[in-house]
Amino acid sequence: MRPALPPMLRAPRGAAVLPLLLFAAALAALGFLPLWMTSPYALHVMVLIFLAVIQGESWNVLGGYTGQYSVGHAAYFGIGAYATMMLLQYHHLAPWWGVWVSVAVAVGLGVVIGSITFRLRGPYFVLASIAVAEIIRLIALNWTDVTNGAEGILLSDIPPLTIGGRLITDFMSKVPFYYVGLALAAMTIAVNWGVQHSKLGYYFQAIREDQDAAHSLGISLTFYKNVALAISAFFTAASGAFYALYVGFVDPSTVLTVDTSVQIVLICIIGGIGTILGPVVGALVLVPLSEALRSNVIADGLFQLGVSENSRTGQFLKENLAHAHVLIYGVLVVVVILFMPEGVLGFVKGLRRRFAGKAALPAKGEA
Amino acid sequence: MSSLLKLEKLSFSYGDLRVLWDVDLEVHPGEIVTVVGSNGAGKSTTLRNISRLVKPEAGTLTFDGHDLTRLESHQVVGLGVIQVPEGRRIFPEMTVLENLRMGSYVKATRADRERNVARAFSLFPRLEERQKQLGGTMSGGEQQMLAIARGLMGNPRLLLLDEPSLGLSPLFVKNIFDIIKEINRQGVTILLVEQNVFQSLRIAHRAYVLETGRVVLTGAGEQLLKDDHIKKAYLGM
Repeated sequence: MRPALPPMLRAPRGAAVLPLLLFAAALAALGFLPLWMTSPYALHVMVLIFLAVIQGESWNVLGGYTGQYSVGHAAYFGIGAYATMMLLQYHHLAPWWGVWVSVAVAVGLGVVIGSITFRLRGPYFVLASIAVAEIIRLIALNWTDVTNGAEGILLSDIPPLTIGGRLITDFMSKVPFYYVGLALAAMTIAVNWGVQHSKLGYYFQAIREDQDAAHSLGISLTFYKNVALAISAFFTAASGAFYALYVGFVDPSTVLTVDTSVQIVLICIIGGIGTILGPVVGALVLVPLSEALRSNVIADGLFQLGVSENSRTGQFLKENLAHAHVLIYGVLVVVVILFMPEGVLGFVKGLRRRFAGKAALPAKGEA
Repeated sequence: MSSLLKLEKLSFSYGDLRVLWDVDLEVHPGEIVTVVGSNGAGKSTTLRNISRLVKPEAGTLTFDGHDLTRLESHQVVGLGVIQVPEGRRIFPEMTVLENLRMGSYVKATRADRERNVARAFSLFPRLEERQKQLGGTMSGGEQQMLAIARGLMGNPRLLLLDEPSLGLSPLFVKNIFDIIKEINRQGVTILLVEQNVFQSLRIAHRAYVLETGRVVLTGAGEQLLKDDHIKKAYLGM
């Protein structure tokens, strides 16, 4: 008999100290940021980035680790947004209680939908997920008595948060949203870290790698896919509630469309699917990009470079580039997907491997 | 001798297409039983019925007194009926060791994990050398070793092997069959489905010949090797 192999059989734990320190440092830095970054627009962009991180990390649990590409996460986002708004506006339930109800509804519905659609595989699952989200959108659009239909729900105000009689915040500025967003983003990152390093995560990844093989080892596919979906729907719904309270308005065409679903998936695709930091990178690329294009930096840049603002070209750029921001955004996304199929993180890893690999090709050299 | 696995009049269809017709099959503890036949004879479908990846249409399916038709596939694995799926199906992005660890998913087998890893490494020294390599980067033969080793991690009482020689080099084919024999010698009952009729009959205690979904011949492995029909239809002699 050979000696036992305990160290390799345990999940590696010691290696996590440095990333944890970096994570804590980044959190602390972001925590102090609003003290000197007071511009509401800068805060707004940060809130949007946090929102994208929360959405991306939530999707990542199901799409990235478990390999179930849902293009219907708008359903959970929308339910989170709508339920919180309806409870607050019509039943005067404070959002920090209402969010739990909305999250529970999203998770419950997710498990019901999952139990049905997880029998489908690959593209069929994707199509089913889109269909389910569309059904929910149409319900929200047509069930006017409850959802106020296409008019949407406009929030009059959020009650101030007090603890033991002391006012914590009245939600008048963007700062409280900044901190809630930061906390939720940190939480979802931690959840992804937990998934990647737990037994549960191994089962998810086994299903992603080869669900038949996983099945043959006794892993119940529907059960674990549903667990992944429940985690994913939980935080997606929370992000929806966060979004709704921040913007103060929901209607079917902003929170329940295929656009929303695709946007969530894009965050992960651009950053790197199935990695902890992928959605963070994706959010850091996509949100500033979309904001920059919206505010027409390209035309401004060209004017800086000497293109006359009053020439005919200048006029053309000024009038059309701003309108074309969605088009440019789309083209850039296509370019990234074409040239970085594994996302920005995968691309960087590939570069590092290429430069490090020239010296010593490890795996292949030994083989 | 009482049987470990017993199929009686098992029938199965994919939609309107009847694939299995009243298949009777028995595996006794400690045996290597092989099911041979050509492409499309229903060999893999038989295994899929046993591991309950599909639901039998009619007939009974008993393992050690348990009615398998009433169980879900993960419960069948829990009983110790473990299938090594066709085409290897390892997890390509996991290391060899992680692949093996996934094999002891069932709670009852986790306590034996270290012992089973040691057993896998002693059967397949190559896997020990490569334990940190990603599964997908190994050769076909190594992947097949890993798939079998992963199956053994679940403490199988009955190991179902689906075409383990598929796509392997002739040298490796013999190697795999020798290893299967060795695994059996260590006390694991094996039900082997193969297109490589010669090699599987060589190591099997008993064999069933399946043709278009029916058992047409059964007997001891060596005895079937001498059978005229087998020689003509499968061995090209």
